[in-house]
Amino acid sequence: MINSRRLSWEFDYTAPTTVSEALDLLDQFGGKAKIFAGGTDLLIQLKEEKLAPQCLINITRIRDLNHIHADGGLRVGAATKLSQVREHCIKGGVYTALHEAISVLGKPQVWNMGTIGGNLCNASPSADTAPPLLVFNARVKLLSRASERTLDLQEFFKGVNCTALGPDEMMVEILLDPPRPNTGSAFMKISRVGADISKVSCAVALERKADLCLSCRVALGAVAPVPMRANGAEGILEGEKVEARLVEAAGQRVAEEIKPIDDIRSTAEYRRWVAAVTFRDVFWKAWRRAAGEEK
Amino acid sequence: MKTQRVSFSVNGEYHEIPIEPNALLTNVLREQLGLTGTKYGCGTGQCGSCTVLVNGEPVLSCLTLAVAVDGGEIQTIEGLAKPDGTLDPLQEAFLDHSAMQCGFCTPGMVIMGKDILRRNPAPSEAQIREHIRGNICRCTGYNRIVKAIQACGRQD
Repeated sequence: MINSRRLSWEFDYTAPTTVSEALDLLDQFGGKAKIFAGGTDLLIQLKEEKLAPQCLINITRIRDLNHIHADGGLRVGAATKLSQVREHCIKGGVYTALHEAISVLGKPQVWNMGTIGGNLCNASPSADTAPPLLVFNARVKLLSRASERTLDLQEFFKGVNCTALGPDEMMVEILLDPPRPNTGSAFMKISRVGADISKVSCAVALERKADLCLSCRVALGAVAPVPMRANGAEGILEGEKVEARLVEAAGQRVAEEIKPIDDIRSTAEYRRWVAAVTFRDVFWKAWRRAAGEEK
Repeated sequence: MKTQRVSFSVNGEYHEIPIEPNALLTNVLREQLGLTGTKYGCGTGQCGSCTVLVNGEPVLSCLTLAVAVDGGEIQTIEGLAKPDGTLDPLQEAFLDHSAMQCGFCTPGMVIMGKDILRRNPAPSEAQIREHIRGNICRCTGYNRIVKAIQACGRQD
């Protein structure tokens, strides 16, 4: 870190009030502008001199990007604050893994600044909203002056801090399918201290009928270059009668299919070990919730 | 880099000042407005000592561009006590419980304490610890801070 006290990099700043204006600006600056909302990751990257944009485009004043529409499923504007998403899901008793994730993301101050779209577009491998959104099969809507496309969230993440966004594109909405009966979800993260980036995070969403696991989606963060689904573990559980041995086997499979590294927060070895344990705990919580045995 | 005329209220007082796009809110408050209650601790959002209220919500001023707060209402720790100097009940609780040593984390702690009490008038110890988890204290071990917030809650 060169200097975290003040920003030395100089840039222009603009705060459009419509998506159209923002897209024009993106077009105009040809990849030299950076969209920002809460700025909780962006400003750190600017202080570390990892980014050198010519212009910062503040999208938090665009009303169209700040909404939560629960018409069947969920349509969330990309610039909706994490605090709002969390409150909505808690009040409605829906998408439990998502509000559980926001509740342990950063700190309350960050929920008031950061946005759901920002967490995804920053594309940290440990983005805490990503595993829940992956297990809920989220789709993201991307707009540019010339195009409109909707991607599965899994296709959106390309690498560390790297997404499918073109230089003239911005995320405008996150879409979730309506919750189904007899489903349950849970999220857990392992970190060094209470307000810290994850060492490992895990989300599970499943559909249950008596002791049969009808469907199961498992996603993990901080254990690969991108937030990832654990397809192998899913395959072990889907369509099967759930018992402890099976869940343990799925946990072992999780440990095998993740691609963790050693970094300042943890080691690959520990991450493999704790991912299996965390998955097991998250699975059983989601399992109990699917039968209404737990909130 | 073009300086912008930015306007916002700080502790109820209206300001209109020229601000550069790369100016951080912490520095504008401390250096241009002389309000040094808000601290620079880490500059990376980890310590919470820069916490202020923007439009009623606690945020980290070290990661906030001042230009982005245009038209907003900011409250710093200086705005908590009454104009005649009467302390807020939470500030009294901090004094009663000796919840300060060096005092550096205190403005941020008080702001987060006020925030949880606003949402939940009688928070549990666990709820308080969750809410202030983003505010680091190197001196007190947190216990008296938590007790002060909890005691203030029970009073109301």
